Amino acid sequence: MSITLPTRVGTRTDSDSQWAVETHGLTKRFGENVAVNGVELLVPRGCAFGYLGPNGAGKTTLIRVLLGLTGADSGTMQLLGHSVPRHRAAALARVGAIVDEPRFHGHLTGRQNLQILAAAREREAKDRIGPALERVGMLHRADDKVSKYSMGMRQRLGVAACLIGDPQLLILDEPMNGLDPAGMQDMRDMILSLVAEGRTVVLSSHLLDEVERTCDAVAIVDRGKVIRQGAIADLLAGSSFVVEIECSEPSRAGELLGGTPIGGRVEVGSQGLGITLPAGTGRDVIAEINRVLVGGGIAVYRLQEVQTSLESWFLQVTSRLGVSE
Amino acid sequence: MTATPELIASAPAPIPLGSSPDRRGSWIPNGGLITTRIMELRRRRGLMVALIIVTIGIPTVFLVIRLLTHAFDPSSYGPAGGEDIFNSLVAGVLYVFGFIVAATLGCTAGSVDLTEGMFRHLVVTGRSRLALYLARIPAGLAIVVPLVAVGFTIVCAVCVFAAPTQVNYQGVNIPPGLSKAGFAHWAADHQNEVICNFEYHGGPGVVTTVFNSNAVPCGGPGGGAVIQKGPGGPPASASTPSPAMIRAAAVVMAGQNYAGYTRIFLSPSVGLMIRTGLWIELEVVVGFIVGLGLGSLLGQRTVAVVLMIVLEIVLTPILSRANIPHLINLQRSVVGLAVAHLEPSGLGFVFGGGGGPGGGQGTSQLVPESRTAAVFVILAWLVGWTALGAWRMVKRDA
Repeated sequence: MSITLPTRVGTRTDSDSQWAVETHGLTKRFGENVAVNGVELLVPRGCAFGYLGPNGAGKTTLIRVLLGLTGADSGTMQLLGHSVPRHRAAALARVGAIVDEPRFHGHLTGRQNLQILAAAREREAKDRIGPALERVGMLHRADDKVSKYSMGMRQRLGVAACLIGDPQLLILDEPMNGLDPAGMQDMRDMILSLVAEGRTVVLSSHLLDEVERTCDAVAIVDRGKVIRQGAIADLLAGSSFVVEIECSEPSRAGELLGGTPIGGRVEVGSQGLGITLPAGTGRDVIAEINRVLVGGGIAVYRLQEVQTSLESWFLQVTSRLGVSE
Repeated sequence: MTATPELIASAPAPIPLGSSPDRRGSWIPNGGLITTRIMELRRRRGLMVALIIVTIGIPTVFLVIRLLTHAFDPSSYGPAGGEDIFNSLVAGVLYVFGFIVAATLGCTAGSVDLTEGMFRHLVVTGRSRLALYLARIPAGLAIVVPLVAVGFTIVCAVCVFAAPTQVNYQGVNIPPGLSKAGFAHWAADHQNEVICNFEYHGGPGVVTTVFNSNAVPCGGPGGGAVIQKGPGGPPASASTPSPAMIRAAAVVMAGQNYAGYTRIFLSPSVGLMIRTGLWIELEVVVGFIVGLGLGSLLGQRTVAVVLMIVLEIVLTPILSRANIPHLINLQRSVVGLAVAHLEPSGLGFVFGGGGGPGGGQGTSQLVPESRTAAVFVILAWLVGWTALGAWRMVKRDA
């Protein structure tokens, strides 16, 4: 799936917006601390969108601002084409969200908690409680008190709470927290099925592997700013990559390559070399590496280009964790 | 700047503006919000048990003990019911504890969504925060008002059906409901009890003659009458009265005491019970609304409940009694004092105080305040705390 992100839309009316989430210059401060710093975010409708960032980057704050849980200091935002907070009720009518840890009234059952939330929504929401519980696999525990639920069960109940509103947009903040591997697989499948139904899922997570497996597009946030956003494949295509070489005499091989204009960073290991090459490096460069080594009397046993993972790319682009691009 | 066409094509259409059929932007709470809020409060088992114990359990246990002790030893223990018991239970128990119970429920309703993490879920539904707050008012009152009503009804029932069968006036048991002539006739038949116990306010010399004759054995020094002298008591003189004179003296004294006799009732009247019930419920409503606002303002229950108890148990009695010249208007703005001034006439003490003009029996002990002022103070508290609680709910970060 290929998604390219547009520049700011001019005077589009609410009803024909193609973005599930659209923010421009969104800023939220807590005293001196700028938690959300002029965020420009565009989430296409009908996709799974990952929202990534290190701890304290402002992910949850942005979600809270989007949902009207706290006010923005400046900037504009739209949910499903409706301006927020001006048309907040209409915007949130088809939005479901889990923010932080899903917490409920512990003395009530899961079903009763959903009844409270359904009463705050439209009349039809009450009829969706059963199907929502069934969909998240909680129907058999629906009449148990929430205080007896595990963290994973509360996560599922949180998703069910989202579903009773028949949402077009789901915003899930760390939905994999507390889930065992099977639960994570179930959650992943559920997110994909929701997207397949045409819903938009915004997934805020620090589990990069999960995001890579689940989402079509991502935005990377660091220190309150969105520093990259786009389709995962497009973003990774624009990042550096590594060529792994298994060879004899790794030290001498490193010296040989150091004397050539190949470029990149060479790391010498006990079994061979790892060469990090910048994005856009042609395949002829890899062939040239092979020629240099063989010509220098080095036995090359294996030579492989390794695709950059979302995790390594994430580490590259987030300033506090490594080298900033 | 486009997403792929197939992605856009599969996306559901956005909801048209203004098409929210459930009016979730409205500040008026719907029935569903209120009923689910009732459910949420009602399912708090510990809180409900505490409320029931305080509003129903305490008066019931007290009355049952009185019923049993009177049944087993009527000579030592008086009847369980009657107007005195009604006054004591209503003004001494239901008034204070009803307020505390209502305030506790209000503080709970005002804070638990926040402390238990449901507030965020509710806000995300898009429902008006004001509607979420206002839904708690009818929900909480639907719980606490009937509870107090049940407790009050039990008190009324026992006080009426287990009321004493005779009026005790000046230490003398007298049949209830006597006319003035009947009262005089009864006095003529119980001349010794009347002459020894009733107050004498001066008048015909026949009474003086009887008093000074020692003809009526009242158990005083020398075996003569121990006279309950009112203003204008008899001068000392000595002569021997005839039985007719003693009888006449008793009738005279009965006539002087008839007004006092008619002010004593065996059981509370229907009118008094209705007015008292409404007054107690007013106190409960005030307690709940103020507690709700305070709980919402503080965002937590424990501190709010403690503050409400301190207000009712400590501050209100002090500020209602102590006359501090420079703070008199501040004292008048205390809601407990204002409610006390609306106490129905004929009712007993409230935290040692009493009703306002024409009200209960402790008027002189309270800081004076007109009923109109009291009504405005109560309205100001109800509106003010509702506004504060709602404002905090609307402005609070979720």
